[in-house]
Amino acid sequence: MRVMKFLVILMALACVPLLSHAAEVKLTSSTQMLWYQDILADQSEKDAAQYLRMSATKIDDEGKLNIYGYGRASKVFSSPSEDLQGRLYYFYVDYRNAFKDHLDVRAGRTYVNAAAISGTVDGLYADVKNLGPVGVTLFGGRHVIFEEKNEIGTRGDALAGMSVYLDTIKNTHVEVSFGRKYGDTDITRELLGLDFSTTPHGMVNFYGRLKYDTTAETYNEMLFGAKVAPLKDLVIRGEYYNSYPTFDITSIYSIFAVEQYQEKSIAAEYQLTSKYRVSVKYAKENFDSDADADVVEIGFLAKPIKDLTLNATYEQRSGYAGQLSGIRFYGEYKINKAAILAGIDYDDFRREISREGTVKKYWAGLNYEFNKIVSAVVRVEDNVNFNYDNGYQGYIAVQLNY
Amino acid sequence: MIINKAFKIVVLSTAFLLVLVCLSFARTDHRDYKGSKLDECQDCHSGSGVMSNHGAFFMKEHRLLAQKAGNNCADCHQQSFCIDCHKGGGIEPDLTRSLSRGSEYMPRTHRSDFISIHSIKAADNPQNCYRCHETSFCTDCHSRTREKGNMKIKSHRRAGANSQIYNWNSDHAAEARRNLQSCETCHPDADVCVKCHSSGKQNPHPRNWRSIKSRYRDISNGRTCRKCHITY
Repeated sequence: MRVMKFLVILMALACVPLLSHAAEVKLTSSTQMLWYQDILADQSEKDAAQYLRMSATKIDDEGKLNIYGYGRASKVFSSPSEDLQGRLYYFYVDYRNAFKDHLDVRAGRTYVNAAAISGTVDGLYADVKNLGPVGVTLFGGRHVIFEEKNEIGTRGDALAGMSVYLDTIKNTHVEVSFGRKYGDTDITRELLGLDFSTTPHGMVNFYGRLKYDTTAETYNEMLFGAKVAPLKDLVIRGEYYNSYPTFDITSIYSIFAVEQYQEKSIAAEYQLTSKYRVSVKYAKENFDSDADADVVEIGFLAKPIKDLTLNATYEQRSGYAGQLSGIRFYGEYKINKAAILAGIDYDDFRREISREGTVKKYWAGLNYEFNKIVSAVVRVEDNVNFNYDNGYQGYIAVQLNY
Repeated sequence: MIINKAFKIVVLSTAFLLVLVCLSFARTDHRDYKGSKLDECQDCHSGSGVMSNHGAFFMKEHRLLAQKAGNNCADCHQQSFCIDCHKGGGIEPDLTRSLSRGSEYMPRTHRSDFISIHSIKAADNPQNCYRCHETSFCTDCHSRTREKGNMKIKSHRRAGANSQIYNWNSDHAAEARRNLQSCETCHPDADVCVKCHSSGKQNPHPRNWRSIKSRYRDISNGRTCRKCHITY
């Protein structure tokens, strides 16, 4: 039923250009065939998927009215009993500067985002802006929850929130937000958020985020950080992060005591030349008085010759929950209308509480643009791990851009 | 006296607001730069008074920027760009991304066979998983694998190869407190937990429970409490 609604909406949207000859309509279609290993079913599967994304902009004479939509229909055709499934990721009317330059409105299915709460809603989003240095956002609607390849949830699931933000003194932003989540008409979460970010000097930026659960009367997340750019091509970042997980009020887990998670990290990124960049990060994780972990990440990006990009990252983790040593390497080379990519992932792990082993992934892909409208991609991958000596997966997709 | 005070407050407040208005500024519209390469962005965002971003660690850093009201992400990105990474879509041909066991596109943060290493990665800030996944995502897999040999977690195993004693009593409390979400993946209703942690038995509540319990009772209409306390 939902997939049918999706298709009806798409057909209606196709009529939009008839309403206004000045409207600009862009359509992107991706028809895909995917094959992969389902570890639980212990068999290989084949899916077909159709993606469609559209944007109709400048529908009205003033160019303020736009419509955006994006969805997917898919079917597992290696299992005949599977129905066609679909997701409508978003579909909304976007009215910019609805009242002079003070109001932006989005109506329909859209993603809403604030420090206190985020999610996809079937409802309204309004940004009352440019009230001097102050602005207010309001949003609310039915909470859309995606699971598996479609949607779940009841009519009583909802998300609502607001934020008040202050943009005063150049490059300084302060924002207070409030959010509520409803599950089956009951309040399941109520959160307050505080965001601040200031760049008093081009070389220094301070930022922070606080998220407070009003029911549990505790901070859910706390983040403080500073970025410094002592040299033109060098950025150093230090952060402190504190997390205290809370649960939906209707969940029995909301009454349990938990420990804080703390993380202190320092990272640096240096652009050696216009073609080479190196990055490094160290994080100390603390789970409680008896458990901690150390994480080191090193990254390298190189563009030694025109149209060639090489990327390598290495991560080492030791301490609570397990040891992990992993490397990722991939490269991309463009030749005329084609782009060839290939990569390797390798991980050596030892879970503290169960098994250990190595995992490898080899993959290669090709993207070819036949012309400005039609392109195709193909990707193949081989996984070698505990479950498979050779776990193959991949996809072929044909893209159309109108 | 009171009128003087009120007058002073009004004047100071007005002056404060006027200062704020004078200092307010409009953010830079980035739509003209949509087609620029990231290298070119650094010309402004490096050494010219604007802190750089979209660098090596932007995968983690972007959250704060994207959740700011009035952010300029939409100047260059459509919502599908965010949705595809966070919700497994794949309309753009990003060849660096693999498929999950359910044919969704995994983000680049999920290295190699993420199933093998995900239990270690999930420990790195347990809340990270929930930025994209619902609890039911974990439960769907774990509810079908919990009896599979060495996929059991430590506290669920025997103390030795031939032992009749489980590690449970010594290990589960610490494991649960450090990452309670992982318990929820296999025990979504906590029926196992309630056997020992209900009224009159081991107290599971946090230290501030006395001050907050009435809110849980009122908002859930007692449903959450009645799991353990019959009299609610």
